[in-house]
Amino acid sequence: MTELEVRGVDVYYGDLRIIKDFTFKSDKGEFIAIIGPNGSGKTTLIKAMGRLLKPKVGVVLIDQTEIFSLHQKEFAKSVAAVPQDTQIDFEFKAIDIVIMGRNPHLGRLQMETVEDEKIARDAMEMTGSLDLMNRPIGELSGGERQRVIIARALAQQPRILLLDEPTSHLDINYQIETMELLKSLSEEGLIVIAAIHDLNLAAQYCDRLIMLRSGEAVAIGKPDAVLTADRIRETFRCDVIVKRHPLTNAYYVAPLPKKRNSIQKSMIRVHLVCGGGSGASMMHELQNKGFQVSVGVLNILDTDYEVAEGLGIEVIADAPFSPISEESHQANLRMIERANAVIVAPVAFGFGNVKNLDACSFALTLGKRVFLMNEALNRDNDFTNGIAVDKLSKLLEMGAEVVEDLKEIAWDYL
Amino acid sequence: MRKQKYKVWSEKVAKWYLTLLLLFIVLLVSIVITVGMGAVAIPYDRILSMIIDKVGEAIRSGSIEPFSAQSLSSEENIFFNIRLPRVIFGVLVGIALAVAGGVMQGVFKNPMADPFILGISTGSAVGAIIGMTLFASLGPGMRPLLAFLGGVLTIFIVFNIARVGGKIAIDTLLLAGIAFGYFLYSLEWLLLIVVTDSPHEILSWLIGYLGNAQWEDVRYAVAPVLLGTFLTFMFARDLNAMLLGDETAHYLGIGVERVKKILLILASLITAITVAFCGIIGFVGLIIPHITRLIVGPDHRILLPSSALFGAIFVIWTDTLARTLLAPSEIPVGVITPLFGAPLFIYLLVTRRKT
Repeated sequence: MTELEVRGVDVYYGDLRIIKDFTFKSDKGEFIAIIGPNGSGKTTLIKAMGRLLKPKVGVVLIDQTEIFSLHQKEFAKSVAAVPQDTQIDFEFKAIDIVIMGRNPHLGRLQMETVEDEKIARDAMEMTGSLDLMNRPIGELSGGERQRVIIARALAQQPRILLLDEPTSHLDINYQIETMELLKSLSEEGLIVIAAIHDLNLAAQYCDRLIMLRSGEAVAIGKPDAVLTADRIRETFRCDVIVKRHPLTNAYYVAPLPKKRNSIQKSMIRVHLVCGGGSGASMMHELQNKGFQVSVGVLNILDTDYEVAEGLGIEVIADAPFSPISEESHQANLRMIERANAVIVAPVAFGFGNVKNLDACSFALTLGKRVFLMNEALNRDNDFTNGIAVDKLSKLLEMGAEVVEDLKEIAWDYL
Repeated sequence: MRKQKYKVWSEKVAKWYLTLLLLFIVLLVSIVITVGMGAVAIPYDRILSMIIDKVGEAIRSGSIEPFSAQSLSSEENIFFNIRLPRVIFGVLVGIALAVAGGVMQGVFKNPMADPFILGISTGSAVGAIIGMTLFASLGPGMRPLLAFLGGVLTIFIVFNIARVGGKIAIDTLLLAGIAFGYFLYSLEWLLLIVVTDSPHEILSWLIGYLGNAQWEDVRYAVAPVLLGTFLTFMFARDLNAMLLGDETAHYLGIGVERVKKILLILASLITAITVAFCGIIGFVGLIIPHITRLIVGPDHRILLPSSALFGAIFVIWTDTLARTLLAPSEIPVGVITPLFGAPLFIYLLVTRRKT
């Protein structure tokens, strides 16, 4: 089994210490991503492992052997790499490029044999680029070229594969294809180490993540252990939420908008009745107008609840899947008392949340303006055998207004 | 069935050998044809009978005495001691310049590199002039030796001017080569005026003239040119990999910086040898690899040997043109080659700018 060890490595560019005391070890086929903001040293670390930069302090070892003590070709038999820039101007066919991967295995005047050609073809088969064999490399699309370049690296029959931003110039379909390919290669025993920009791709496909900040390893480990909101905030200087995606079961990271100070704070308070994601975009829009927004009553775990939490919006919420409690309802009414207007999002009403409409009629009795989004009146959203529809028409009788869009509301005259 | 699937590569190699064989035959035929052409035309049956006579005589007597000027008729003398060494030297010059150009285009990853454009030829000329004037007392070997030093020095100066942060910008390289070339050009003329009494004699050599070539020159040049050329062939696969970028080449097990240095020294060596004996014949290193690449593709394993043969064919034919066009007076071949080369260079400049 191949073993790659990076032991206490410092890498300099001139006098600049780029990588600081980095230590890491891998001794089995796995897919490892190096993540971190621009300038954190991802590329430098790849280059140090690829023998392009010699560490000033510390060593990189393959199977206990220091890499700089290996002959150039011996090293190339163990380690292959896909550098960042893969533009090729000269008119080689794809197969010519892949066969170049056999270089470390050939003597100076030796010609490639049929065996070498077979290895090259197998590598192209593996990356799904065999069809492109006789196409000139310059005519291929970014994704196709990337697959050919990876095939070239595989033709070296390496034990360690280094990639610098293999997905950064690719469309999402090729990003996924590339990541799936690298994942399957790692499962066959190859140590795959890639600098990856996209935290979500890294989280979904990689076995381990190395998070760098200014050349230091902030964390090394499984994606769920490395990707915490706090750590990402510190490393990338931005607010995010980290969640397990229900479909992919992978952790995903979503950025939260920076709090914009430029927005003029308004004294207007708006209360929003929503749920199931129906209010998310409105929360953003209202907050961007500078209004003070409140939301209620929601269930914890509801998408809108997470959005409200993330945006720092006041929210009244009950336990998951439970109907609105009297306590929450009262809290909601207190909130409405302080609001200038209430907006009802196109939310589906069931027996659990229909009480929120009572809160709306309470608002009207207080003389507050209540706006119903047109879609909210759709009968298909009623799961209460007509109770919600009745309550909505009653609201209309009491003076609630129907709008198509938030823009229709003359906020200045509230 | 499965065996047939993997024949692409061996078929390709077979095609390479066929290409080289074809070019070699064209070269031999070209030599035979052009040897007869010139101010004094020699019919082919005469050439054949002369060769049979004289070679037979030499074998019977066991010496090269039959080829000495005294024992030859004037026609035989023109053939054996003027025309033949001239054509053979043309072959060497063609090989050297085409290979040097091909190597430089590979090292710099740009089809506009050429020993003349980058100033190597002029640098070698300055070295050669110093060798044949100031150091003439040290022997005839000083001329090629100092030409070589001049060429190597030039390429490393130009190379380092153009290198910014470990990368070579091709426009800077071309400008550096042309600008430094002008500096050397001045130096060359200063030397001619200050150091020599008869600049005209040197001038006829400098401008690129094969008419002075003698068997002795061939003897000096043949080993370094052929050896240097063969050594560059050994780096053909490295050059291929370097076209994919220095980083990629490194990961393919190539010591990029070392290989670049070796190749530039070899290219300077073979260029300098030709310059030392027959002056500056420009643009051969630009034209030949470029056209050859269009025909055989970018793989240096076929590109370099094909360029060598094609370069030899090109030079002996242009030299034949040079000595027959205005016969009995001659045009130096160095005047002819830019007529083909400069338009190609401008064409490349214009088309590159568009893309």
